[in-house]
Amino acid sequence: MSEDVHALVGAYALDALDDLERMAFSRHLRECEPCRVEAAELQETVTRLADGAWSVPPPSLRDSVLAEIATTRQIAPAGPEQSRRNPKPRRLRLVAAAAAVVAVVGAGAAVWTVQDQRVRQAETLAEQARTSESRLRSILAAPDLVVREQRLTSGGRVTMAMSRLRDAGVVTLVADGAPGSDRVYQLWTIHGETPSSAGAMAVGQSTMVQVVEGLSGTSAIGVTVEPAPGSTTPTSPADALLKII
Amino acid sequence: MAERGMSGRPEYLTPVPEPRREPDAGALLRAVARGDEQAFGKLYDLVAPRVYGLIRRVLRDPAQAEEVAQEVMVEVWRSAARFDPERGSPTAWVFTIAHRRAVDRVRAEQAATDRTIRAGAAAVDTPYDAVADEVTGRLERQQVRHCLDDLTELQRQAVTLAYYQGHTYPQVSELLKVPLATVKTRMRDGLIRLRDCLESGVAA
Repeated sequence: MSEDVHALVGAYALDALDDLERMAFSRHLRECEPCRVEAAELQETVTRLADGAWSVPPPSLRDSVLAEIATTRQIAPAGPEQSRRNPKPRRLRLVAAAAAVVAVVGAGAAVWTVQDQRVRQAETLAEQARTSESRLRSILAAPDLVVREQRLTSGGRVTMAMSRLRDAGVVTLVADGAPGSDRVYQLWTIHGETPSSAGAMAVGQSTMVQVVEGLSGTSAIGVTVEPAPGSTTPTSPADALLKII
Repeated sequence: MAERGMSGRPEYLTPVPEPRREPDAGALLRAVARGDEQAFGKLYDLVAPRVYGLIRRVLRDPAQAEEVAQEVMVEVWRSAARFDPERGSPTAWVFTIAHRRAVDRVRAEQAATDRTIRAGAAAVDTPYDAVADEVTGRLERQQVRHCLDDLTELQRQAVTLAYYQGHTYPQVSELLKVPLATVKTRMRDGLIRLRDCLESGVAA
């Protein structure tokens, strides 16, 4: 039984438990010292995954945070009544847990339908994605991978990670925002002087990842803002131009 | 030492939990717990790019990410005194708060549906938004990436779908069409393998 519960330690470290299970698992941890050690170790590992998600926050965030903490009271260190050395009588704890369960179920019911739908839609996307993912991984894993980056005039950046060995590249476009209700970002590969479309985003979309096959002959990657759903040739000046030769 | 195998790494080189480039996160956090606003500013500069980046990655919406990142940093200020160094490193504590907040938001959020569709609709080539950062943050996280690549396909997908997209393990099970028990196991042994790989690569 306990081993059964403990199998969730990975999911716990990844925050992949729902609120009820998270509570149950935290209870389990309180009663099991080696489990606490393993959970802490795995959480430490999971933290390293955050290293890669590095992204410069907007400068205004710093000011807002500092302004808010100036007027925010800090809570005191955990007193003895918080400590696990001094658990409340068991029956009382059960009552507290039951109350929490009721509260969570109430909140949970409202989002359940949405969640369910989200899973199904995500499933379809994941299926489409699986085919191209291995190609993408193989490009990104290439030993001769070169990464170039360029700012978008409209705010954001376009990055090209390319490999001569794979004769392909992965273009990542991350804009600060979508360009408007009837405009979209479009990606172009430029051969000599001739641009050809490498895909357009949907209205409202501000990020995309695209695999570009066949690097030979491609001299640059361009980004423009086009009327939805995209144009056959660029109709506006380049928002970004990333030379790759 | 024998179990270190090929790496031959002496026992005393066992990595400390704190990456070398941030030696004083613990000292800063202790000062913050005493109400030192200047120390908080320094701590902010140290962790904010990763806090914001992580939240943005899970939520995929810069405006919301900014809002949640602010909540998280204020929470760090508020509860700094509750940080217990015996339970993990200061940065792990901060990022755990950040990740949990992001995940809570993404799960509670109605717009989650739209976001998933939006992110995938135009570009069938977009497996995960994770890839976007995988490219741009490549240099910073070569080691993490290398170690992720070292996992089995299923381990990697289970770990990244949960961590970078905020899915619960039943959702991951459904997405990957593998039994619940398998997902649980893969998350656990995937993280163990990741941990071992990251440790052995500290010298690299």
